[in-house]
Amino acid sequence: MAPNVSYHCPCLSDSTVPPPPHHLSSSSSFHPLHELFFCEECDAIRCNTCVSVEVSGYYCPNCLFEVPSASVRAEKNRRVLPYLCARNCFLCPCCRNTLSVVPSDPPETDDGRTLPVSAVGEPPFFLYCNYCRWDSAEVDITFEKPTGLAGTCTAQLQKFEDSAPDSLEFERLKEHFEPFLLRAGATSSLNPTTSAHSHHHVNPVTAAASSALARDIPGVAKYTPAQSTSGRRSKGARDEMPEYKARVDASSSKGAGLGGEPDVEFMRRLETVSEVASLEQRWSSSWAVSLRLSDIKPLRMPLHSRKSKRCPSCRHILIKPEQKAQSVRYKIKLVAANYIPAITVSMPAVAERRATLNGQATASAAEASLIQAGRSYPFHLALTNPLYDPVQVRLQVQRQLPAGAPRGADDEGTEKARRPPFAVTLPNTAFPIAAFAEAWEYEDDEDMLDDDEFGPERGAREKDARKNKTVGVLERRANVTIVGGEVLIGKDARGELKFNMLVSYTYRSDDPLAEDDVKATPSRRNVPEMKTFSFCTIVSLGTIVPREESRSVNVDL
Amino acid sequence: MSTVPVTPRHARQPSASVHVATPASRVPSGSMVHASPHYQTTRRHSLYGTEDRVVIDPGSRIWKVGFSGEGRPRDVFLVDSLWGLSRAAEIADREEEDRLLEIYVRAQLRSVFHDILLTDPKSRKVILVEHPLLPVYVKDTFARVLFGNMQVPSISFAPSHLLSLLSVGRITGLVLDCGNLESTALPIFSARPLFPQLRTTPLAGARLTAHLRALLLLFGTYLPPPTSLSGSASIPAATRSTRVPQEVLTDAVIEDIKTRCCFVGDPLDASADMQILGTPSEDPMDLDLPPSERAPSESDFSRVSHDLDSTAASSGFSVVSRSQVGLARNESHLEALANMYKRHSTATDLQLKVTPPATQQTGTGLGTLVIPGWVRERGAEVLFEGGDIDETSVAETILDSLLKVPVDLRRTLACSILITGGTAMLPGFIQRLHSELLRAIASSASSAGRPPMRPDRPRPPAYDRYAVLRPLVPHLAVLNNPSPPPPTGTRGNAQTGKAPAFAPATMPWVGGSLAGSLKTGGVELSREKWDEAAEEERQSAREDASEDMQRRVIRNVLPDWTRMPLPSGAPPVTRAPAPVHIPETAAVGA
Ligand SMILES: [Zn+2]
Ligand SMILES: [Zn+2]
Ligand SMILES: [Zn+2]
Ligand SMILES: [Zn+2]
Repeated sequence: MAPNVSYHCPCLSDSTVPPPPHHLSSSSSFHPLHELFFCEECDAIRCNTCVSVEVSGYYCPNCLFEVPSASVRAEKNRRVLPYLCARNCFLCPCCRNTLSVVPSDPPETDDGRTLPVSAVGEPPFFLYCNYCRWDSAEVDITFEKPTGLAGTCTAQLQKFEDSAPDSLEFERLKEHFEPFLLRAGATSSLNPTTSAHSHHHVNPVTAAASSALARDIPGVAKYTPAQSTSGRRSKGARDEMPEYKARVDASSSKGAGLGGEPDVEFMRRLETVSEVASLEQRWSSSWAVSLRLSDIKPLRMPLHSRKSKRCPSCRHILIKPEQKAQSVRYKIKLVAANYIPAITVSMPAVAERRATLNGQATASAAEASLIQAGRSYPFHLALTNPLYDPVQVRLQVQRQLPAGAPRGADDEGTEKARRPPFAVTLPNTAFPIAAFAEAWEYEDDEDMLDDDEFGPERGAREKDARKNKTVGVLERRANVTIVGGEVLIGKDARGELKFNMLVSYTYRSDDPLAEDDVKATPSRRNVPEMKTFSFCTIVSLGTIVPREESRSVNVDL
Repeated sequence: MSTVPVTPRHARQPSASVHVATPASRVPSGSMVHASPHYQTTRRHSLYGTEDRVVIDPGSRIWKVGFSGEGRPRDVFLVDSLWGLSRAAEIADREEEDRLLEIYVRAQLRSVFHDILLTDPKSRKVILVEHPLLPVYVKDTFARVLFGNMQVPSISFAPSHLLSLLSVGRITGLVLDCGNLESTALPIFSARPLFPQLRTTPLAGARLTAHLRALLLLFGTYLPPPTSLSGSASIPAATRSTRVPQEVLTDAVIEDIKTRCCFVGDPLDASADMQILGTPSEDPMDLDLPPSERAPSESDFSRVSHDLDSTAASSGFSVVSRSQVGLARNESHLEALANMYKRHSTATDLQLKVTPPATQQTGTGLGTLVIPGWVRERGAEVLFEGGDIDETSVAETILDSLLKVPVDLRRTLACSILITGGTAMLPGFIQRLHSELLRAIASSASSAGRPPMRPDRPRPPAYDRYAVLRPLVPHLAVLNNPSPPPPTGTRGNAQTGKAPAFAPATMPWVGGSLAGSLKTGGVELSREKWDEAAEEERQSAREDASEDMQRRVIRNVLPDWTRMPLPSGAPPVTRAPAPVHIPETAAVGA
């Protein structure tokens, strides 16, 4: 993988220190810069796993039809298939690809003569999967017209759904429990779970339980408080629930679809696996469902939602899409890339070698051998300033221990294991990055270098650069500064070459050009304030090739 | 330096859009959500009334999610195995384990709300279906993510076994959940789970998966794809066939076989075999296959060879008809077993197309895995093998629980047994389990002379384990047995098969949906309460800065039957989450 830099989001965690890079949990704590948001109110990075998400609308991903919330609400009482496209969009029940409406083949006669065909094709029309070739005629769903399936297929499915045995049974169960719970609710003073603010949220099932337990329950009685009285125990204890008569019970139709005898026989005689519907095709049903593939129905297209994202801490909107399905634009978008420097990393030596290798047809083995144990490599970090102000940046490597080093044990082996397998050197002084400006302002790059914004620091920086050509500021142009670093890889090192890097940048928060800020905070008009913002990154340079392997590869080359 | 919060100004964004942003007032996190104007807005625009709760049944392998008031979940999906039966020993490793669990649970829950249910978590109360043995740290993780990251207003933890009973219109019954990691029997009386009587066994889905894998490695056949060069289509399949390479049996392939090819046959007519094997008192089906966690013990070998000798002598033991050599010593007892199972199976062999192992890229296209019919039919025998005190059979687990309940509840519970869980979806499973219950009660007397399982273990006392349950046999009813045995004529037994035809795997979810729509369902924990507890925890962590306190403390506000006194002044239960199920002979029947 090419070298890259990802950014840490602490996700409101108390600890802002990211996990060590070799931990599995590390990778989900870091994100590419373009996926991150920035909350101005909290002055903090936010990511997709911590922002709060709100639904601001629904649309069909296939036909892009907008579903107005009013019509969705209208379905509330019917409780049938909301969130599904009500138009002609269906999914294949086998592979979940979108189904197309296709006409029947032109009727062919045995003598090869074809009858004249209308422009839209011949009825009956059916739904067809271009991917797995499933078609709805197999399950007897066909249409007379290719359009307005909402009036036909959906109606067919709708009817099927309305009379779905699980829904009917469910309603019956509700009717069964409701009167019982009402009665139980009346005696809910016994309810032990009643809490201060939930006097009308008593848990009726628990209430029922406790009222039942208030009677004498043999064996449990000794645990129950004083209400216990002598009970009737002739046929064993019973609860007060009347018997429920199922609408359709498990053993009706001999248990077909619930693993009963017919299913066992079907399985016993099975000739090919493909006759059985896969679990995915059956399991979202809560009811007895046929094992046979030939019994499955097309699925209506689930709607997608349009999402707004807010800061989880202060509730400010971070991103808000426009209300049109076709639009990919956003009304509001506070992306982190507008606030914190973009950092790219490259390894010139490796890149050169990759370039020369590209000519030859050497395969992945050579590619993999680019970073070898026991050597040192320079690398470049290019930092781009998105702000209208120049910034001073300081980089630090986060101290780290290798994985699995047991605590407390200090024999030589573990001492060795605890030593990091590589050492990273970064410029140890702060360095400047010029302000972002429109392109025409950069006619003379030399001017930018002469800009003495951060004068006092500059001498030190140049001395530093002279001392070591690898480590330090290498180049400054426009709002980009390239600094060099170096990594020394231990002889026995192996695995991923990556490290956590803390980035701090200081900027002048008061700038006369920033009219908005001036308006917002007039009192700070003439007080130059320096503000520092820090964030963590992980720098991945590539995979280290252990020494033995790299030697053999060298011979090959 | 000033401490006034100032933000770096962005450059590229047109400034207008920024100022469209929200008013500057900060909503304090936590308790104020109900008062915030935003809450009102989402309420108005939400698809349903917000009173419909989100019902989540998060298994260790399969999740079911949807809205209360609906008869089926909106989605059912597989997740990576999220937690197992054991945890890492090192604190540092466990911390990483916790982090990974939280990351994974967070990703799943966010996807549930944002991609599947398309609803705003801040306005949805949540019913979490809770399996009684769900580790407390997992529960804590769910609560932390739901309250902290998703900011849901409340969570109700509802016992899965009780919810299953609701889905069949009852509040009393003995519920067995045959899931992935464990099978768990829990008696419930009048909506109250009798947790001290809970019994569990590791004979469940994961064990069946491991067992199937072993059977297929030993007895399956693999045909590599034909090589295009040699025109090998003419080579007969028999000579191309090889043992099944391990790489072919991926988790997905095994799962597919388990859910699409397997079923459960009738009880073995063991008496005939026992005569042949000459070990009338011993269950010959005890398997100890590689790769299983337990190394075969010496006694296993001796028993195996005993089986083998007698089988070979009397029935002309024939090696499985495949060009296979070099069966290891412990495999020979499996050959005997295979022969016996074969005699008891009429299921067809099946062929499944599989991806060839990467190391065998000789041919083109897919390889073929031949699954013997008897493996399809008898693979699940592993769940019905009893006699081991550490791993009771699924039927014994039910009966052991029944033995534990107060005497006067036994009959009521015996006639309202409910079987739930994903593994119970195997065709034939429930009716087989029903027969096994009857058989175990009937045969506990005859097995009194059972020899010891291991030489190093004491011989179990000669007692008639289920004698006290024998009078209950005519009343026994498995509510959701799809193919009930002939009725015995009692009122209790008449309930067999009379439960509504909900699928066993979905019953807890359906019950959760029902509980939600009836505005009930378990102890409700509000976010205010959680946040308060979190604040207290932070305070105490600050005061006591020792390393242990820095670690995540499981919050006391979480309802947890393993350490909370039950409602109605029931006795506090010991903290041990998995009660030991050593038969307490003295107590039983007293
Ligand atoms: Zn985050
Ligand atoms: Zn559509
Ligand atoms: Zn398809
Ligand atoms: Zn914020």
